[in-house]
Amino acid sequence: MNISHVDRVQAFRYLRLPSEPDAHFLEMADVCEKQLLSMISPKYVYRIFPIVQTENGISGGGLLLRGNDIANHLKGCSQVIFLCATLSAGADRAIRQSSASDILSGMITDTMANAVIEQVCDNAEQEIFATLPSHYFTWRFSAGYGDFPLDTQADFLKVLNAEKRLGVTLSESDLLIPTKTVTAVIGVSETPISKGKKGCAICNLSEKCPYRAKGVHCHD
Amino acid sequence: MIDFSSFLVLDGGMGTLLQEKGLSLGGVPEVWNLEKSDIITEIHRNYVKAGSDVVYTNTFGCNRLKMARTGHSVQELVQSAVQNARNSGAKYVALDIGPIGQMLEPTGTLSFEEAFDIFREQIEAGIDTDLIVFETMSDLLEVRAGVLAAKEFGNGKPIFVTMSFEENGRTFTGCEIPAMALTLEGLGVDAIGVNCSLGPEELVPIVKMLCEWTTLPVIVKPNAGLPDPVTNTYNFTAEKFGECMKPFVKMGAVIFGGCCGTTPEHIQKLTETLSQLSPIERKPVIPSAVCTANHTVIINQPRIIGERINPTGKKRFKQALKEHDTDYIMNQAIQQIDAGADILDVNVGLPEIDEVEMMQSAVKAIQSITDTPLQLDTTDPIALEAGLRIYNGKPIVNSVNGEEKSLATVLPLVKKYGASVVGLTLDENGIPKTADGRFAIAERILNRALALGIRREDVYIDCLTLTASAEQEGVMETLRAVTRVKQELGLHTVLGVSNISFGLPNRELVTRNFLTMALYAGLDLPIINPNTESMVSSVRTYKLLANIDKNAVDFINHYGNDTASAPKPAPTSNNNMSLESAISAGLKSEASTITKQLLATTDPMEIVNTQLIPALDKAGSDFEKGKIFLPQLISSASAAQGAFESIKTYLSEHSTETVNRGTIVLATVKGDIHDIGKNIVKVLLENYGYQVIDLGKDVPLETVAEATERYHAPLVGLSALMTTTLPSMEGTIKLLNERCPWCQTVVGGAVLTADYAEKIGADYYANDAKETVDIAKKVFGN
Repeated sequence: MNISHVDRVQAFRYLRLPSEPDAHFLEMADVCEKQLLSMISPKYVYRIFPIVQTENGISGGGLLLRGNDIANHLKGCSQVIFLCATLSAGADRAIRQSSASDILSGMITDTMANAVIEQVCDNAEQEIFATLPSHYFTWRFSAGYGDFPLDTQADFLKVLNAEKRLGVTLSESDLLIPTKTVTAVIGVSETPISKGKKGCAICNLSEKCPYRAKGVHCHD
Repeated sequence: MIDFSSFLVLDGGMGTLLQEKGLSLGGVPEVWNLEKSDIITEIHRNYVKAGSDVVYTNTFGCNRLKMARTGHSVQELVQSAVQNARNSGAKYVALDIGPIGQMLEPTGTLSFEEAFDIFREQIEAGIDTDLIVFETMSDLLEVRAGVLAAKEFGNGKPIFVTMSFEENGRTFTGCEIPAMALTLEGLGVDAIGVNCSLGPEELVPIVKMLCEWTTLPVIVKPNAGLPDPVTNTYNFTAEKFGECMKPFVKMGAVIFGGCCGTTPEHIQKLTETLSQLSPIERKPVIPSAVCTANHTVIINQPRIIGERINPTGKKRFKQALKEHDTDYIMNQAIQQIDAGADILDVNVGLPEIDEVEMMQSAVKAIQSITDTPLQLDTTDPIALEAGLRIYNGKPIVNSVNGEEKSLATVLPLVKKYGASVVGLTLDENGIPKTADGRFAIAERILNRALALGIRREDVYIDCLTLTASAEQEGVMETLRAVTRVKQELGLHTVLGVSNISFGLPNRELVTRNFLTMALYAGLDLPIINPNTESMVSSVRTYKLLANIDKNAVDFINHYGNDTASAPKPAPTSNNNMSLESAISAGLKSEASTITKQLLATTDPMEIVNTQLIPALDKAGSDFEKGKIFLPQLISSASAAQGAFESIKTYLSEHSTETVNRGTIVLATVKGDIHDIGKNIVKVLLENYGYQVIDLGKDVPLETVAEATERYHAPLVGLSALMTTTLPSMEGTIKLLNERCPWCQTVVGGAVLTADYAEKIGADYYANDAKETVDIAKKVFGN
């Protein structure tokens, strides 16, 4: 997948930049963006499965989706899309490289990579959704949100054959490596569904969230 | 011995066939070697019937990490797999080894040594096979670990390696085809190629390039096309698969098989295709080249070797080595690459340090941030081997010389690790005065290298630059020797250029002119200081005039917009700018320059205490008040870092004094690999004059305790970004409380809260880098 630019609005928001950054900062951001985009090779894999009700809960592709939050998320859906997208090890290298010359450019590169992986997921969704005309979709729900256990990752990657097809691995502490990698579950329905909000209740960071403190949402 | 003069047919897919036979999602294919051995043998047998000469054991993931939860040992599973394969009646049984499934450092957490040991266990368990195959590999460093284990523990069995490439010609980790070929042929594997990831059609340009870069037999083992996301079936019929292999035969590939989605029918069709064709003999000419996994430098024109990573005559560098400051070394690497170095010399020898350990640390650190090939420069063969072992790619060894002892110790290492080597034209009798004498030694070195199986293209000769001030008559002898070695032996040449001007005024003028003369005489690899613009520009100009830089593309690219080709002025301080305003504006080079100017008249500690720290304090308090935001605070910290580096350099040159307000150990805890937050904290603490012992990321509990003991550090900072790694943080604190009761702990990271910090027994919680500094001030009372 070709990404031609970094979504700076998002990246700068992640950095919590107050307003229009100064020229020195923008110059640095230009360098970071150019380097990052030249080093990543964004790609994704996905599979679509019918949702099956089992006695232990719902499952897709033989993978049991544990927890109430994922069940709520998929309420009314008949199929499920499993998605894994990554910027590849090149993103980690770009972040290391820029951090070694300057810590601020390291931070900018890291944040930009966070924005880009979201762009990749957005683009992937568009491409996948186009194969399912007249269907409706939920937002992306990932292992680790709410009570959807993080240790689902290992089997999730297996179902997608993500190690062979994307080079994505899981560390012993269940971290996805390369680090700029996202896995997500998207519900598919034949009838319109209420999308629900990416609520704070299921977020691990809600206790110290600066957005929440201001009474707004991170996804507003 | 396997005969490569005719085609060799491998087998096809295993995983999809096992799923068809009922292997569930959570099922481990390798366990079926024990539980369903009849099914496994039947699949092997079907491949043999279809024409496979070689079957791969069902051991793709059979390593101790992936098998940990099966209740079976690697040995048990591999041995049953070998038996099942043998029972098929295959001509050859290959021990199949796939990627470990955990990524190696620096992107992942697995060390090279652990990877080596994991492979060793598999290879020892599968000793009763006919060959060893590494397949679907992506990381060249991981492959190197495997191949070295196979060489050292595989009883001399043939080794095949196939890697998985994407359409851009790189693996997932960015490894490029020439780098794979150069590195693996250097290591002495028996056949290389590609498998998985793509279908036959997409592999055409990749195999073509591989055939141009290796003299080894080439393996092609593609998927049956591409998988369907809904059905997961592959889109190539057996007929189409067989047909699509024809172009690879034309390119000269001789070993064929199938990967994901291929079945015995695919192999049957493949065998039919091959039966109508004959192998084509290839005669590729492989150039002189060195590489890292992601970047290859062909020595087909002058290439600059940067000389700055070397402590000789550099007090600041020596201090960095003594302090194990790899950040400093990484910075030296980046500066030289930005200035135009193609290859970096790495010399980290200093009598008072452990050079073996430092060589490994330096190579790992530099390779974690650059793709530029390295030249390992040491006189200690143990340090040399330590560096060669973990180097990712094909490096240059600097150096061997004509002495018997040197030839006998260095050249075997060059051969084993597949490096290039610099041969110095000196021996027991010193440096010959004449060109003829040096030529004779060059010839001797070359012949010894060739006798060991080192390629002629991998021997570079250094005819040795003598100082013009002391041995003026020797200058032209050196250049004559360069010309003879180049023309008569056909070897590439290397010279340490800077030495020429030692003891003379206007050294740069002398060095620059000698450089141009040497290039004209046939020098390919000048070892110079690329940070001196006139050196790099001389090489660029030479390439233009010698018609190497066609149409002056590179030259115009560098100097086309030049407002005169004058060297770029160093950032000068604007007369009105104070250190405080430079820091406040986040201007790093200005902060550095202003500090250098201040040092001419002001005591270094006075600068730290009256200017640097107050400027940082102001930024910190503005941050707290919400006047500035995190990026601006970090920007100031970064600028202060520039100022601090000037002070450190000054102190290392002018006194024995160092700035140290207290020692703090910092680590990202075991299991966690996010270190940006920790690095920001480090920069800020260092700016305030604290000595930070940075243990890096994914740091074992014991390592934190050991460092805290060794430095008797009063404060330890721990960072964790993920919920899953908080238990490691808690464990580390517990261990510190037992072993280092004097130390206090401060913790931070995205998911941490003050409450949680208290719960796990931390003394302090820091919400951001600024708070960490405040806590340090409190702990150290300064």
